[in-house]
Amino acid sequence: MNNGGGKRINGGTEEDDDEDDVNGDLDAWERTYTDERSWESLQEDESGLLRPIDNKALYHSQYRRRLRSLSSIATAARIQKGLIRYLYVVIDLSRAASEMDFRPSRIAVIAKHVEAFIREFFDQNPLSQVGLVTIKDGVAYCLTDLGGSPESHIKALMNKLECSGDSSLQNALDLIDGYLNQIPSYGHREVLILYSALSTCDPGDIMETIQKCKKSKIRCSVIGLAAEMFICKHLCQETGGIYTVALDESHFKELILEHAPPPPAIAEFAIANLIKMGFPQRAAEGSMSICSCHKEAKVGAGYTCPRCKARVCELPTECCICGLTLVSSPHLARSYHHLFPIAPFDEVPPSHLNDPNNKLQRNCFGCQQSLLNPGNKPGLFVVCPNCKRRFCLDCDIYIHESLHNCPGCESFRHSKPVISNEE
Amino acid sequence: MKFQIEDVTVYFPYDHIYPEQYSYMIELKRALDAKGHCLLEMPTGTGKTIALLSLITSYSLSKPQSPIKLIYCTRTVHEMEKTLAELKLLHNYQIKHLGPQARILAIGLSSRKNLCVNPTVLAAENRDSVDAGCRKLTASWVRAMAAENPNVPTCQFFENYEKAASAAVLPPGVYTLQDLRAFGKEKGWCPYFLARHMVQFANVVVYSYQYLLDPKVAGIISKEMQKESVVIFDEAHNIDNVCIEALSVSVRRQTLEGATRNLNRISHEIDRFKATDASRLRAEYNRLVEGLALRGNLPITDNWLSNPALPDDILKEAVPGNIRRAEHFLHVLRRLVQYLRGRLETENVEKESPVGFVASISSHAGIDQKALKFCYDRLHSLMLTLEITDTDEFLHIQTICDFATLVGTYGRGFSIIIEPFDERMPHIPDPVLQLSCHDASLAIKPVFDRFQSVVITSGTLSPIDLYPRLLNFHPVVSRSFTMSLTRDCICPMVLTRGSDQLPVSTKFDMRSDPGVVRNYGKLLLEMVSVVPDGIVCFFVSYSYMDGIINTWNDTGILKEIMQHKLVFIETQDVVETTLALDNYRRACDCGRGAVFFSVARGKVAEGIDFDRHYGRLVIMFGVPFQYTLSKILMARLEYLRDTFQIKEGDFLTFDALRQAAQCVGRVIRSKADYGMMIFADKRLLFELLPSSYLIPDMD
Repeated sequence: MNNGGGKRINGGTEEDDDEDDVNGDLDAWERTYTDERSWESLQEDESGLLRPIDNKALYHSQYRRRLRSLSSIATAARIQKGLIRYLYVVIDLSRAASEMDFRPSRIAVIAKHVEAFIREFFDQNPLSQVGLVTIKDGVAYCLTDLGGSPESHIKALMNKLECSGDSSLQNALDLIDGYLNQIPSYGHREVLILYSALSTCDPGDIMETIQKCKKSKIRCSVIGLAAEMFICKHLCQETGGIYTVALDESHFKELILEHAPPPPAIAEFAIANLIKMGFPQRAAEGSMSICSCHKEAKVGAGYTCPRCKARVCELPTECCICGLTLVSSPHLARSYHHLFPIAPFDEVPPSHLNDPNNKLQRNCFGCQQSLLNPGNKPGLFVVCPNCKRRFCLDCDIYIHESLHNCPGCESFRHSKPVISNEE
Repeated sequence: MKFQIEDVTVYFPYDHIYPEQYSYMIELKRALDAKGHCLLEMPTGTGKTIALLSLITSYSLSKPQSPIKLIYCTRTVHEMEKTLAELKLLHNYQIKHLGPQARILAIGLSSRKNLCVNPTVLAAENRDSVDAGCRKLTASWVRAMAAENPNVPTCQFFENYEKAASAAVLPPGVYTLQDLRAFGKEKGWCPYFLARHMVQFANVVVYSYQYLLDPKVAGIISKEMQKESVVIFDEAHNIDNVCIEALSVSVRRQTLEGATRNLNRISHEIDRFKATDASRLRAEYNRLVEGLALRGNLPITDNWLSNPALPDDILKEAVPGNIRRAEHFLHVLRRLVQYLRGRLETENVEKESPVGFVASISSHAGIDQKALKFCYDRLHSLMLTLEITDTDEFLHIQTICDFATLVGTYGRGFSIIIEPFDERMPHIPDPVLQLSCHDASLAIKPVFDRFQSVVITSGTLSPIDLYPRLLNFHPVVSRSFTMSLTRDCICPMVLTRGSDQLPVSTKFDMRSDPGVVRNYGKLLLEMVSVVPDGIVCFFVSYSYMDGIINTWNDTGILKEIMQHKLVFIETQDVVETTLALDNYRRACDCGRGAVFFSVARGKVAEGIDFDRHYGRLVIMFGVPFQYTLSKILMARLEYLRDTFQIKEGDFLTFDALRQAAQCVGRVIRSKADYGMMIFADKRLLFELLPSSYLIPDMD
């Protein structure tokens, strides 16, 4: 990761513009520290010497840890997962969100990663819907209603990024509780709060609101940008969510993307349920029709609801006329892998590479690159527990996060060439 | 888990043990083997209590031929309950592994206020009136009267307990105060007297410091304890102050006025008795001639006061003739009160040694030392004879007699200081006569002499070599353990300069400097904007806190702080402070965030925990030195220098840093907790810290 370096470049361009008004009341010696944050790119080793942080190994070890924790939940028992999610993302736009401890500012970082998150979320959960809520001046506003189109959310968010006032968890939860109460019972109600502030100014007793959320089965998760707060921890514990605090930008990205895969289903909802869905046909190119979602005439590339024949622009969505859930079959298929995740690969210490018995496999089975580091020093690599094929770290991440199939196992089973799995 | 330390199999109820707990146990075992006293320091949150309990109970289990008794002294009722709960867990574990032979009897003993189950008595608001309420129902003469006249109220629980007589025993087990109450209610026996009775038979007794250190109470409760006991003083970093307080008395004008009222009432009673039942007074007179030793056959309920001096000396002697008769004794007391009133009239601060004071009493009031020495016992006997039950009304005269006995008994280690007004408010006359004890070893000496092993332990005992000198004993083991941390859960810092590079300190010549006040304000302001939930700030004194908050208010800093967090302030009023604390906790709970301003030697700094989110940061503004111009402190310092060769500066620094460490220690109560500590004073870095004071891992 280019954590340290990238930040400094960003910081450099920023400095001249807003240093004077933001850091105006700081003394000169303080300013150098607030800007540089030079301590962050160093770490102390066992003998007390300072050395630059080895980002790659660190990143990979974090990734492995996350993978293990995820898969331990998934493989322990075939846990039912909530594939149809109704998620509200709450963005705290209080005074604290304009702090500059993340570069260039907290809110810019949040916006950037929320955008990536929304795209990733729809990629992984094609059947789900997202809505955006902001907190500003102690009041919660609904920025976008629940919907399946990433573009509209992102556009709405980018227009509203001014921060001011206090933050109020209670107001946000009350608002969302009102919205989520109306959704059908097969959907999973979730809230993801990106919280910058260190306090919450509430009009009433927040404990009651938390109990209310718990009663209406809303799973609340919080990602803090500042420090651990008791009330957030309490909220997440009560409602079954996850509470994490971001250390820096890359960590924040990791934490927010952790919320993209579907969480285990809440027990009360785990009853099997039939849902009526329509698989609309794509309209012929060049045909003209009135779009039901934009209320205007559009040319080509739309979908037609199989029940009422209305035209919609994007899938997945709900038909505005008859209320039928419209999806396409690849959407369903893409949700499928969450139920049968691929087992995490075992990490092997590099010394095994020089083992004469295993001389054959010195290349990654995925990308065919050598597993040896430059200078013929053995590097870290991983082994699939089923097919015993070896993979490099990059392929490891690719297989688990995008491909969701192990090339080694697939080629074994069908004795087909590997390439057939890489679409 | 079960493991071996030398020849002892230790039963430890948890699956894991910290390395420091293990080495703590080894040292403790050595001290027990050597039958000597020991001094052990181990930081809070490392499981001191369970290490102590599990080693000592296992030790006595492994040596069944010489059972030892464990006397565990805690500072507060809350700690007592926690200790007993821990012991219960341990006991269950031992029974599971060893079967019935591991059975022990462990009880907690507290005042009637905490143990009484009689609803009418419990309705009283404070401890003294609960005690008096109990006596009104259980005193022997009240019960004798009730036997004749069924309309006289008695306590049902006590009557049942008396009826059960020797059958009233507790089955083996661990009893917290709550369990005792529940047991008492179920059986209909009085839990307080049952517990007091069972103290002699119990293997483990948990009670407060006072029951051993305060000679007034110790004589009744603890005199039957066997020599083969292990006494533990937990959280004992302030033990010298507890000892001193137990032997110090202060007399104010109100005390003297109250004492006069009490004397009038006693004289009425005497007159009444003379008219109705003169034989009683005569019987008392005869008994006094034979000496107070015969008092032993009085029933236990009447046994409510005892001698503050060393009991052995006095009980062998007969009461001197001039105070044997009730009227004469009363005259002596009246003269004493008159004399004290005269002394309080003074315009200047006076300091006197007890010897000089006694000489002056005997020349001016005609009371000799021996008579003074017997005052306390004589009053006790008189009140029993007069069948006075509402003892809470007679606290004033008891104070006077307590004073007289102490003055009469001790020639050294005390001084009498008369101050006509409080130094901070010289315009308001508030004369006070203080008999202050300077020698902590006086009160604790009987404990060291009597018991085989005394363990003094706490989270902060550094410098560990000072305690044996203060308390005048020779420990066989004195060790200090450091906490092993799996992660960096504390972050102590010393701040010497503000953001404008000016040094900060609460040194006397600097404390009111606007630059220092502003820097402190800016420090706090920056902290409240980055620290979540609760922050605790400690100031060196109430007056300094008031001053600095006023300045912050004027300069607008306070307002800016309030934007981030709510502000709560400790005051000298207990009720107000409790309310503030309550709201502070609520503000932390609901996520609003709060700051608590407190004073380093106040109630909050000593007894209230700010664990977890209630204290993520503690800031110590300045170094909490004692008020060095106080006459009492000066007298004590002088005594320490002359007797124990402890330099004034050393003692003051030790005391200040012990206080500071206590304050900041409030926020970390276990290894799972985390927090930050800031000491904002330049003196800490340059003058005070080079020695290995404070938290061990402070670099």
